Amino acid sequence: MPEHHIVKVEIPALSEYVAVIRLAISGVATRMHFNIEEIEDIKIAVSEACTNVVQHAYPHQTDGKINLVATLSDEKLDIAISDSGKGFDAKNPVSDKQDGSNGVNFGLGLGLTFIRSLMDSSEIISEPNKGTTIRMTKNAPEKKVEEPLTNS
Amino acid sequence: MIDFSVEIDKQGPLPIIRVKGEIDVYTCTQLNTSFQEVIQAGAKDIVLNLENIQYIDSTGLGTIAHAAREVQQSDGKILVVCPKPQVRKIFEISGLTSKNITLFDDEPRALGAKNA
Repeated sequence: MPEHHIVKVEIPALSEYVAVIRLAISGVATRMHFNIEEIEDIKIAVSEACTNVVQHAYPHQTDGKINLVATLSDEKLDIAISDSGKGFDAKNPVSDKQDGSNGVNFGLGLGLTFIRSLMDSSEIISEPNKGTTIRMTKNAPEKKVEEPLTNS
Repeated sequence: MIDFSVEIDKQGPLPIIRVKGEIDVYTCTQLNTSFQEVIQAGAKDIVLNLENIQYIDSTGLGTIAHAAREVQQSDGKILVVCPKPQVRKIFEISGLTSKNITLFDDEPRALGAKNA
């Protein structure tokens, strides 16, 4: 089992703190020697997950929290962004419209598109009234070229 | 934290909105306010200069799409100055550029597209 390090960050679920998470995950990704483009991808994906929490998770409270757990290993960067808000039916998320017809904010639809496009894998775990966790993984830079497909 | 600012330039043939900093869920409301100001002043085509932004996400794109829908009613366009590859990539993934939103490398090209 490879050595891994865990970084945890908790912020208030308020829009002004999403930039703080971006700075934190940017530092983590830099430490893992991702290139600039990959760091941007990770920042956007993490920011989209946090934005989703800010916009949807805590409609009736102002003291909600966002928890980020980043697990660094030789192989990959695993990131989990969790809230304990209202959750949703993960099989039927909000509209995926990308034409702005939902109003000023796109909501989860486009954010999820970004997460899926920019990360190597992603997953949403959510249940009404129990919160949401969005997990995402970016494979470590070296692992994208060499391909030692050992036991999984 | 990176400073954020939005400036409206009404001196030229088209209104130009120049943005600095990061456009996200927190700052996109300021961008929206600027769009509303120029749209309510009667602007049809609007140049949005993103040369000096470091970051944009879905809320920023949503704000631009919202403005594009409004100017579309008068056959207007949003001419986006967007030379940075990482910002262009976000537009491309979103599919937004297939609407009345066009990307340009610099302001002269965007302004030149007005009569194209």
